[in-house]
Amino acid sequence: MIETAAALEPTFGGPLLVLAILLPVVGVLLSFVLGGRFAERVALALAPVGLVLALAIAFLVWRSGAPVVYNIAGLAPPLGIALRADGLSGVMLVTAALIVAAAGFYARATFATPEGSTEARAPFAFWILLQGIWAALILLFIGADLFNLYVGLELLTFAAVPLVCLSGKPETLVAALRYLMFALFGSVFYLLGAALLYGAYGTLDIVLLSGRVAPLPAVWLAAGLMTAGLLAKTALFPLHLWLPPAHANAPAAASAVLSGLVVKGSFVVVVRLWFYVLPALPGDAAQVFLGALGSAAILFGSVLALRQPRLKLLIAYSTLAQIGYLFLIFPLASGQHPWTIDGWNGGLMQTLSHAFAKAAMFLSAGLIAESLGHDRIAEFTGAGRAMPVTFLALGLGGLSLMGLPPSGGFAAKWLLLRASVAAGHWVFALVLLAGGLLAAGYVFRILSPALADGSLVLKSPPQRSREHAALALAVVAVALGFAPQEFFDFLQIGRMAVAAQP
Amino acid sequence: MTGSFTSPLAAALGPFLLVAALALPLAFVAAWFFAGQRRRARDLQWLAPVPALGAALLALAGGPFSFEAPALRLSLSLDRPGALLLAVAALLWIVVGAATFTYWKKWPGQRFAVCWLLTLTGSIGAFVAADLLSFYLFYALVSIPAYGLIVDDDAPETKRAGGVYMAFTILGEALLLLALALLAAGEPHGSLRIEDVVAELPTSPWRDGALALIIASFGMKIGLAPLNGWMPLAYRAAPISAAAVLSGAGVKAGVIGLIRFLPLGFALPVWGAALAVLGFFAAFYGVAIGVTQQNPKTVLAYSSISQMGVLAAALGMALAAGDASAPALVAFAAANHVLVKGALFLTVGAFAAMDWRREKWALPLAAALGLSLAGLPFTGGALAKLALKAPMGYGIAAILSYASATATALLMLHFVTRLAKTAHWGETARIPHAIPRYWPFFALGAIFLPWLLFPAVGHLSEALSLDTLWDGFWPVLIGAALALGLARWGEKLPPIPAGDTVVVAERAFKSSFALSGFFEKADARLRFFPAGGLSLVTIALILAALAAKAR
Repeated sequence: MIETAAALEPTFGGPLLVLAILLPVVGVLLSFVLGGRFAERVALALAPVGLVLALAIAFLVWRSGAPVVYNIAGLAPPLGIALRADGLSGVMLVTAALIVAAAGFYARATFATPEGSTEARAPFAFWILLQGIWAALILLFIGADLFNLYVGLELLTFAAVPLVCLSGKPETLVAALRYLMFALFGSVFYLLGAALLYGAYGTLDIVLLSGRVAPLPAVWLAAGLMTAGLLAKTALFPLHLWLPPAHANAPAAASAVLSGLVVKGSFVVVVRLWFYVLPALPGDAAQVFLGALGSAAILFGSVLALRQPRLKLLIAYSTLAQIGYLFLIFPLASGQHPWTIDGWNGGLMQTLSHAFAKAAMFLSAGLIAESLGHDRIAEFTGAGRAMPVTFLALGLGGLSLMGLPPSGGFAAKWLLLRASVAAGHWVFALVLLAGGLLAAGYVFRILSPALADGSLVLKSPPQRSREHAALALAVVAVALGFAPQEFFDFLQIGRMAVAAQP
Repeated sequence: MTGSFTSPLAAALGPFLLVAALALPLAFVAAWFFAGQRRRARDLQWLAPVPALGAALLALAGGPFSFEAPALRLSLSLDRPGALLLAVAALLWIVVGAATFTYWKKWPGQRFAVCWLLTLTGSIGAFVAADLLSFYLFYALVSIPAYGLIVDDDAPETKRAGGVYMAFTILGEALLLLALALLAAGEPHGSLRIEDVVAELPTSPWRDGALALIIASFGMKIGLAPLNGWMPLAYRAAPISAAAVLSGAGVKAGVIGLIRFLPLGFALPVWGAALAVLGFFAAFYGVAIGVTQQNPKTVLAYSSISQMGVLAAALGMALAAGDASAPALVAFAAANHVLVKGALFLTVGAFAAMDWRREKWALPLAAALGLSLAGLPFTGGALAKLALKAPMGYGIAAILSYASATATALLMLHFVTRLAKTAHWGETARIPHAIPRYWPFFALGAIFLPWLLFPAVGHLSEALSLDTLWDGFWPVLIGAALALGLARWGEKLPPIPAGDTVVVAERAFKSSFALSGFFEKADARLRFFPAGGLSLVTIALILAALAAKAR
């Protein structure tokens, strides 16, 4: 209980957490008030500020080696609501800030308010929704209370769904509706579970719950309901029915955010649930089940990606597969075994490298679709020569997806592989390798025609600065492969403090 | 060998050269991405392997040295086996690079040049990497960008060769990664150094799995039958320059892999015997298929399969016996193959681009070069055979190695015959002028340079004894007799497609596509709302049940 008490104490720098959430919220409000073309300026101006804040929080966590905590209104849980940032929060905050900034920078060309008009529907909505998603993600990464996280999840869904149908075309509306419906199902399940926990323990604070949770029917049911709800929002196979149409039909900048970040938001909540709230539950079988669903997702998503004729659909199905890897963290990082360090680091490394790689690929895919006027892979012949930087970004992202060195994807695969070997989970090791082979197959499918010689007439050359935005994200995905040991130590901050509770 | 003395000069200069050996090619890669530097990069990039050559010679003369960069988790070291291979590989890259990149008309293009540099970096790195992750990085680098060297035109056969090459490569990489994970798991102190993990391998609980994966993954790289299918397709499709460096230097990444990752000081009779059997099978299989081939490049590819089989067999015998002296000896034999096979591919280019009927010496020189692989006396190949004598021992393996020398002589004479018949087969567009012009020097160098290296592993006096000379001579004689028979009755041999078993593998691969249709149907079903809702409820209940069950 001493540790619990310590984990509830507010720490130095706690107010930064509130500031981090407030920043995009203020941005949304300012955009509404100023209106029109100011929405874009506000969003772009706040992005670097948000990045600095995220870095500052990460720095504080790193320096103290412990979570940064803030109690809203000075009231400690269970009366008040806490915000808590640990190693996981730190890296996710920085990742979100970088990808939102890059997507925003990239989207300037698509979502500029036309000269002469003061306000246009799509641009205005895009910039506000982008900031809304960002705010929701920050809340999810640092929220320390399950109801607080619920609010974040809802905000995330309501900001993400309209992004899918910004163009207003009928097929995008259908995709958005599917997304909305299924995400709502998920919310209901999550809320039911949270209510059960509240009824049983009178609190939804993560630290308090972790000390009180006992193997009771209410907890079992809550675990099942909340997890299933979150899986629906994360689009883990077989709950992926909304993801391919939504991610493939959204504008490129939105797809990058949806695929790179939004699905990670609900994933982080699953991690919080199983590693922070429920470690007292001896749930090995459930963790392995989550890993098995992840494995199925890897194989299923990759095979379907191999069959897609259009680039954006291929990337969307690849997201389905890559989400599967994330869920290997549950069997490989649960319990008190020595290999769980590798399992945890590998799972988080996969989260980060996929976020950057996939965002880069969607941004590149957007440029390709604009320059060629289509995204049919079979007709890419010669495109590599016509737009080398775009395909370099696509290729580097693909490198990370395949898990080839040097890349963050490789680091993740290596750590997960080592953990599965040490844990004796042979099936997961084989799935990791098979997933890499299939990923190589679908990346090869894109690059092979693109690198072939051929004459190709571009409708318009890609804008250099937008190519660089995609390339920058791809380079981060590759650079993660060089992460030093200190980085992995950082990922561990805050993990054991809660997991070690009796 | 690692414990031997290092001279102060090598200790001081060596690490610097190791870094430069990898940094310089990468600097050239970077230069290609700046428009202002491209011209200079293209004119000078043949010099990129010079620091590697320097490092190798320094290590041969002054003893082993190493370089550590813990921050980058990079550790490099150069011992005698690595240095032997690195020296000749770097030389081959320089010579072929100079011939190729000072030519530059319409070919080679930028993509070829960059892939060349990346493959080159990997080729150098594989010989000097000292830890698992560095090795894996360089191994991937020598394997994957080589796609761009092989697939250099749009012919359907070339694309097919590239696809098959990529499939083998990626599968090999995956198997290797699992092997490395098993190796790392068997090392109790968390070290990732190759030396440390291999030392623990004989007692590791994952020993058998790791050994099987090591043999399978490196076996794919060196074309160990039945994993050989990619090699004939790739070498046939690749431009001469690319085929020369890939068959000479590139493939040796697999050989150094076997040398480094097999626990050679520790006797493992069963595994050793298994590898030896596989190796000898490949040695004869390569010849048997090779003599049915008509394209000289394909014949050379099958010769590579056969020669790599001999090396694998020698390593297998050494593993069975626990012979710790084998690495340097096998590396020497492999080094000989680097030079000879590189030069043989250049021979194909030279014959296509010059009128060899006028040059009376051309055909005999080509034959001498080819027969070097069979161990013709006074050639480097004779020394290679001598080096392999100790690992092969005196039993049935020794007899088989004589038989394989005979078979090699047969295959090489078949190669020369095909060369003479098919010259001018119209590939001159991608053959730089320097290749026909300087070819005699390449050939003579490949035949005689190994004499300079041999003192690193044995005594020259032994090589010149009458016994050794006779040992080298009679297999060639029998091989020549067989070659006459082949020339007479060879047309009766069944035609076997280049790549032999790969045709079956491709068919199986294509039919697996039908399976993915099933996935697509399943996806269509799962993406109905009722199915999704049902899955959601089911998953919630299963999770709740599992959470309840586990205690």
